[in-house]
Amino acid sequence: MIQVTNLFKKYGKSTQALKDVNFHIEPGEFVSIVGQSGSGKSTLIKIIIAEEKADKGQVVVGGWDITRIKEREIPTLRRQLGVIFQDYKLLSKKTVFENVAFAMQACGFKQKDITKTVHQMLALVGLKDKENRYPHQLSGGEQQRVAIARSLVHKPKLLVADEPTGNLDSINTREIIDLLKKINNLGTTIVLVTHNKDVVNGLKSRVITLDNGVLISDQSQGRYLL
Amino acid sequence: MISFFRVIKFAFQGFFRNFWLSLVTVTMMLMALFSTTLLIGIDYIKEATLEGVNKKVDILVSLKVDTDREDVELLATDLETMTEVKKVTIITPEENRVLYEQSNLDEQAKKVLEIFAPDENPFGFSLAVQANNLSQYDAILSFIGQDKYKNLVDNSDFNDFDTFVAKIENLSKVINKYSWYVILAFLLISIVVIFNTIRISIYSRKDEIQIMKLVGAGNWFVKMPFILESILYAVASVALLIVVVYPIINFIQPSLNAYFQDVNVINILEYFHSNFFRIFGLQFLVLALINILSTSIAIRKYLRI
Ligand SMILES: Nc1ncnc2c1ncn2[C@@H]1O[C@H](COP(=O)(O)OP(=O)(O)O)[C@@H](O)[C@H]1O
Ligand SMILES: [Mg+2]
Repeated sequence: MIQVTNLFKKYGKSTQALKDVNFHIEPGEFVSIVGQSGSGKSTLIKIIIAEEKADKGQVVVGGWDITRIKEREIPTLRRQLGVIFQDYKLLSKKTVFENVAFAMQACGFKQKDITKTVHQMLALVGLKDKENRYPHQLSGGEQQRVAIARSLVHKPKLLVADEPTGNLDSINTREIIDLLKKINNLGTTIVLVTHNKDVVNGLKSRVITLDNGVLISDQSQGRYLL
Repeated sequence: MISFFRVIKFAFQGFFRNFWLSLVTVTMMLMALFSTTLLIGIDYIKEATLEGVNKKVDILVSLKVDTDREDVELLATDLETMTEVKKVTIITPEENRVLYEQSNLDEQAKKVLEIFAPDENPFGFSLAVQANNLSQYDAILSFIGQDKYKNLVDNSDFNDFDTFVAKIENLSKVINKYSWYVILAFLLISIVVIFNTIRISIYSRKDEIQIMKLVGAGNWFVKMPFILESILYAVASVALLIVVVYPIINFIQPSLNAYFQDVNVINILEYFHSNFFRIFGLQFLVLALINILSTSIAIRKYLRI
């Protein structure tokens, strides 16, 4: 599902964010990426969703070599991925329903299909009764669930999440992680960047550890090292 | 086609759901439009004033007292054949006397008439000659100054008139030159202000743009609602402009009439009415164009994600 080979990324002249990173993720896996702040986790995610470009090396996502992806191909890539962020990234002037629908409208789906799928996804994340609220009328956990619903509408085979629970308390964190596990069980590959030791240890799945841009450990059934 | 309707819907949503931002943007645009309209109004008043002056100005050619009616009419006909001349009016000695009596000279000066008997008239014929425009009076004056008219014309007050015409003409030239600079400066300032207003408005919504891109929207799909929204700004500000401008011109029209003591010299209300589409339609088109361009330029860097 993801093949990263000899990946290098530098910001400016001096910040080496990723140094010779190599790993391979199979379809259906649930992989956690951990590491201290500034170790290059977000940079890795940004390269996977083509928000940043690699300096050297190769990145293949879902069989597609995106290392030299053209700007006009980027939307096509993103429509095959689900992405969630620490700050939810919801459109503040759109309702819950409209936020989730937007990802499908952008792809040109018919309104009938959109309505059906959006209701289905909002039910999955447990927000069926709040579809007419605006993001600021929701709690952090609820906002993140909206973002998850949005990331799922085009049925992605890969879901990447950059510290999705970073702004949440432990109960909400638990709910979000459970939701991600459920999605993984339905067959979606998940790459989860996190800081949270309990989350990583509770998952008992593969853990990739970055330190200063270098991949220092890659263990199946791993634990939080640092 | 579905996308097309969605884009329109998003444009309206963006306009109304960012109400305060839209209001600020539209207000800035309204001020720019208002300045331009003010200039258009001032330009019209200037033109109308010059035309009004032109209409009121004529050369008064006083003829020698003993000139015959036939000779006067001959001269009038000669003048009328000139292309520069618009109208020649013959003023009889009797009319001249009445005009003198009714003029605002002081009583002392008017008493001078008392030395003449009622049937004696110290005035001769006069001709009021009107040109098509101010610059033509020179030609008319030199025509009258020809030797063959020497024994008819009593040309004492020509010089004075000459300088008056020159002054008015000069003034009009200065105003024209000056107003071009002002209009140019205003247009430039307006364009800069509008461009920056749109830039700020787009900047304040850059997160929205980036989010749309991150969830897989194409550039066109993100950009079009913003472009349409910028056209809505133009629609709203021109509509508000019309609402603001008409009461103002209604309010100032009476004082303009009073200035010339004549309704038809400066009729700004009529001018705005008959040039409605030229004034407001053109401003709408130009503003919409500036908005579309500014939006396209301002949004570009946020789409690159
Ligand atoms: N846009 C950027 N410009 C310059 N430096 C950056 C940028 N983004 C990240 N960095 C730097 O790259 C390094 C890795 O950052 P990041 O990938 O965000 O780490 P993490 O997500 O693990 O906290 C850090 O030193 C950070 O300061
Ligand atoms: Mg990060």
